[in-house]
This record gives sequence, structure tokens and C-alpha cells, in this order.
Amino acid sequence: MLDFRWVKLAAVDYLILSLYFAFVLGIGWFIRRRVTTSADFLTSGRSVPVWITSLAFIAANLGAQEVIGMCASGAKYGIMTAHFYWIGAVPAMLFVGLFMMPFYYGSRARSVPEYLRLRFDEKTRTLNAITFAVMTIFSSGISMYALGLLFELVLGWSFTASVLLSAFIVLIYTFLGGLTSAIYNEVLQFFLIVLGFAPLSILAVRRAGGWSGLGARLPEVMTHTWSQVRDASQNPMGVEVFGLVAGLGFVLSFGYWCTDFLVVQRAMAADSMSAARRTPLIAAFPKMIMPFIVIVPGIAALALSRMSLGYAIPPKAGGGLDYDQALTTLMAQFYPSGMLGVGLTALMASFMSGMAGNVTAFNTVWTYDLYQGHIRKHAPDSHYLTVARLTTVAGVVLSVATAYLASRFNNIMDFLQLVFGFVNAPLFATFLLGMFWKRTTGHGAFTGLLAGTAAAAATHGLTVAEGKGGWLAMVHTFPSTMAQNFWIAIFAWSTCFLVTILVSLASRPRPEHELHNLVYGLTAIPRDSDLPWYKRPLALALVVGVALIGLNLLFW
Amino acid sequence: MSDLRTSIGGFFSLVGLIVTATGVVSGNRAPLDTTNVNLYAGVVLLVFGGLMLWLSRRSS
Repeated sequence: MLDFRWVKLAAVDYLILSLYFAFVLGIGWFIRRRVTTSADFLTSGRSVPVWITSLAFIAANLGAQEVIGMCASGAKYGIMTAHFYWIGAVPAMLFVGLFMMPFYYGSRARSVPEYLRLRFDEKTRTLNAITFAVMTIFSSGISMYALGLLFELVLGWSFTASVLLSAFIVLIYTFLGGLTSAIYNEVLQFFLIVLGFAPLSILAVRRAGGWSGLGARLPEVMTHTWSQVRDASQNPMGVEVFGLVAGLGFVLSFGYWCTDFLVVQRAMAADSMSAARRTPLIAAFPKMIMPFIVIVPGIAALALSRMSLGYAIPPKAGGGLDYDQALTTLMAQFYPSGMLGVGLTALMASFMSGMAGNVTAFNTVWTYDLYQGHIRKHAPDSHYLTVARLTTVAGVVLSVATAYLASRFNNIMDFLQLVFGFVNAPLFATFLLGMFWKRTTGHGAFTGLLAGTAAAAATHGLTVAEGKGGWLAMVHTFPSTMAQNFWIAIFAWSTCFLVTILVSLASRPRPEHELHNLVYGLTAIPRDSDLPWYKRPLALALVVGVALIGLNLLFW
Repeated sequence: MSDLRTSIGGFFSLVGLIVTATGVVSGNRAPLDTTNVNLYAGVVLLVFGGLMLWLSRRSS
């Protein structure tokens, strides 16, 4: 049997990795001269061209956990994982570009929580800002932990060395150039991820006999997205069509792509309203293609492991397969030294783009929403620039600390992720009502959010899936934790939606003149009939929509 | 924004050169594949890098 666990790097691989480090630091160094105000540092002064913000929009989300996790899910669940893209992310990206960006960008808010303060009130903003800030640091730390663990396992590098080195490099380039530097590097990282992983996907699928070879070697459910979801027992995800469409497609995906400041921040950095609206729409094109690069290799890995080639997905210590190793073991099997260096650099790049995304979003929310909002309200701008730079350091240090915490106390991390899930689930209802119903009030939004979070926790407490939940009573059993998560989201969203409406009707509405540029009906929706068709948001969205339907039918 | 295209173009041209050269010089093959991955993928990286450099030159 081949030794597939250890990857041996040659000098050329290290050369490529160092070249990458040199270029990201170089970009940061080059951009530092553009930073003179806190707005330059935290919002890029709204000056970034649209092709750059578009690629950064997906790259910031394309962290190492995403790449490794999607490949793992491909091996575990098959092409159904693409639902996260083809019914999840992409429709939500169309929605945020077409319908929500006019309010985010038009309100001149500098962050998503700040939009909530303009639209509602201080308490709603603060609730959102605090949970977002804490959550961002934790996800950055957990992602760092995952990467350190993987590099230790695959390359034999020390956990501390890889965590500190990568964190240090991210710190330097974000410290130098702020958001612009992070965004510019995300574009480089995006191309590296695509060019570094795409050949792997092609080689692995070809070796397994092409798409038809995958279909022949694996159960039917692994190569179909929709034909096996009528009933939860038909597919390994354990989900049925309503939970999938409403929970994942509507609540969770719209909640993430339309309200998470990490991604919305990229669009808000664009140089015009039109560019801000087109950012998620243009980003939707590469996003649709990503499953072929990150999910398909996982499916191929499973097929290859059934072909007696000496390849297998490594077993987990506690039983079962360690799907997280699918990607790296494939690399070791299909990339010789040279491309191996490019592949590992791509993995490093995905990690760095995810982390820089978290750090820059944390930075803006801390500096503008929490520090300027509560601690020092009227200081000169240079003061906030200093605070923002210090926050960059603090954000990276806290992420590293979280990575170590995660390596010691796995249970605490699981618990926190669960709680954040409860907080996030209802968010989209608040934004939807806030943007499209001018009668919504601050009290309504705040109570709705709390009620939605409570409903999420209650659903988790009353239902059981794979031994998780049911700490209040056992009312219902879900076939999988994924189905449970989708239904928690559905209940949280509905509760928040209803409570927000009821409390809003019972509380005093805000006068209309205060709501200009914040709510539908009181905001001038930009006309773009003078633009060529490929620059019009609606035309772009239609093209994406048609391609999306085509993909869903092709892999039905 | 020709500067970002220049950086990206420069990076991928260099990496493409290194990977292509590795493909030409060494007979290294991956365990499960007999194609000269470095040569083909290296050329793709090189072409992409060249394209970016060309775009940045054209606009400046």
C-alpha cells in the first residue's frame, strides 16, 4: 500500500510558497501609501473597481474551512453538496445585489450594524455589532485551528509554526493597507485557489473514468442533486425538499449572503452604487462554477478509493473516514513536486483570504460601531485610524488565542458555534422587514431578534438529531443534524418575522422623513437604462438565473 | 488598477515559469498519474500570468 498520508515537499514547492508570501506582503506594502484616513483603512474609501470587489466578495468567504469542508462534504454527500451553491449562495447573491444594495450603499452606512442604527436604533445595532464581532473572531480562530491541524497531519509542520507564520503575514498586510490590501490580496488568492485546485479536479475525475465513471462506481445519490430529496431517507444528508429549499435555500443562505458584513463589506467598498449592486451579481458567475473545483474532487476521492489503486480516504481515530483529508491526500496522489507547491500555496491562500476577511470586518465593526458608537464618540479621524490599526493587531492576536483554545477545549467551541447559529438564524427577517416595510420599528426589530434567537434555541431543545439537542424534551426526531439545522432556521426566521410585525404595529412608527435612503418606497432606486446591458443589474441577474436553472437540471 | 493586474500577472508568470521548468527538467510523476502535470499546468499558469500582464499594459 502506498503511503498517502505524508506529503513530501521539495525545494521547488518551498520556493513557490515563499514567492506567494513575498507577493502578498508586496501588495500590502504598495497599498500602504493610499491609507491616510480611517475611511481609507476601514472602507477602502469606496474606491475599488467592480471586478476586484466581485472576486473579493467570494474569496473572503472561500476560507480554508470552506475549501476543505466542501471537498469533505463532496466525499460524504456527493454532488448534493452543490445545493449550498446552486440553491443556497447564488440566489441569495442575486437578491442582495438587486434588492438590498440600494439601501446598504445608498444609506452611506459604513457597516451592516451601522445600517441597523440608521434604520432602527442603537440597541439593535449594538446587539448585532457585538454578536458579529465575537463570532468573527471565533470563526477566524477555528479556521486557523483547522489549518494548523491539517498541516501538522499532512506535512508534519508544527501547529504553532504554521499558525503563527500565517497569522503574522495576514497581520502585516492588513496592518499596512487595511481593507484595500485585504481585498487586493483576495483577488490574487482567488485566482490561486482556482488555478491551484482545478487541475486536481480534472486529474482525479479523469482517473476515475470521467463523470460517467463516477456515476458507475458510486450510488446514484452521489451524482444527483434533486432526484433523491423527496424523502429524507433517500439521501445521506437526511434532508427533504421543503427543509432544503426553505431552510438552506431561503433562511440560512439569504441570512448569510445578505446580512453578513464579512461579504457585504466587499460590495460596500465599490466605487459607485452601480458597481456595488453588480458586485454580488458578477461574483455569482464564478461562484456557480466553484462546486466543480471544490466539491467534485471529493466525489472523485470516494470513487478512487473503491478502485483498488492503493488510494483510500484515511480512517478517523474514532471510527469512520476522515473526509477532511480527502483534498490533501488527492493532492499527494496527483500532484508531483512543483504543482504540489502550487496546490499547498492555494490552500494557504484560501486560509489567508478567509482570515483577512474576518479581521477586516471585525476591525470596521469594532472601530465604528462599538468604539466610536459607545466609547469615544467625537474624536478626530486620526484617532480612529490609530484605533483601527491597533484593532488589526488585537483581532489577529485574539484569533490565534482562539485557535489554541479550540485545540484544548473542543466542546466549548461546539457550544459557541451552536449559540451563534441561534443568533444568526432570525437575522434575515429583520433586514427584510426593515428594508421593505417602512412601518417596522426599532423596538419591533430588537424584540423580533431576541424572540427568533429564543425560538432557535427552543427548537434545538425540543428536537433530537444524531444524539444532539433535546435538552428540554423530545418532541421530534430529525434524520440528521443538517435537517435539524435547516428547521431551526425556519422556526427562528418565522418567529422573528411575526414578532417584529406585531411589536412594530404596537409601537410608535418613525416619521417618514427620517427614513429616506433606508427603506423601499422612500429611496430612489437607481435607474440604469442608459448603461449597456452587461452593466445592468437586472440583465446580469437574468443571465445568472438562466445558467443556474441549467446547472440544476443538468445534475438533477 | 493596472497595478493589481501587474502584481497578479507577475506572480503567475513567475510561478508558471518555475512549474513549467520543473516539468521539463525533472521526470517527477505523481503516484496515481503518469502525465507530466507540471508541464501542462505550468503552461496554463504562464499563459494566465501573461494575459494579466498584457491587460495591465494595454490599459496603461
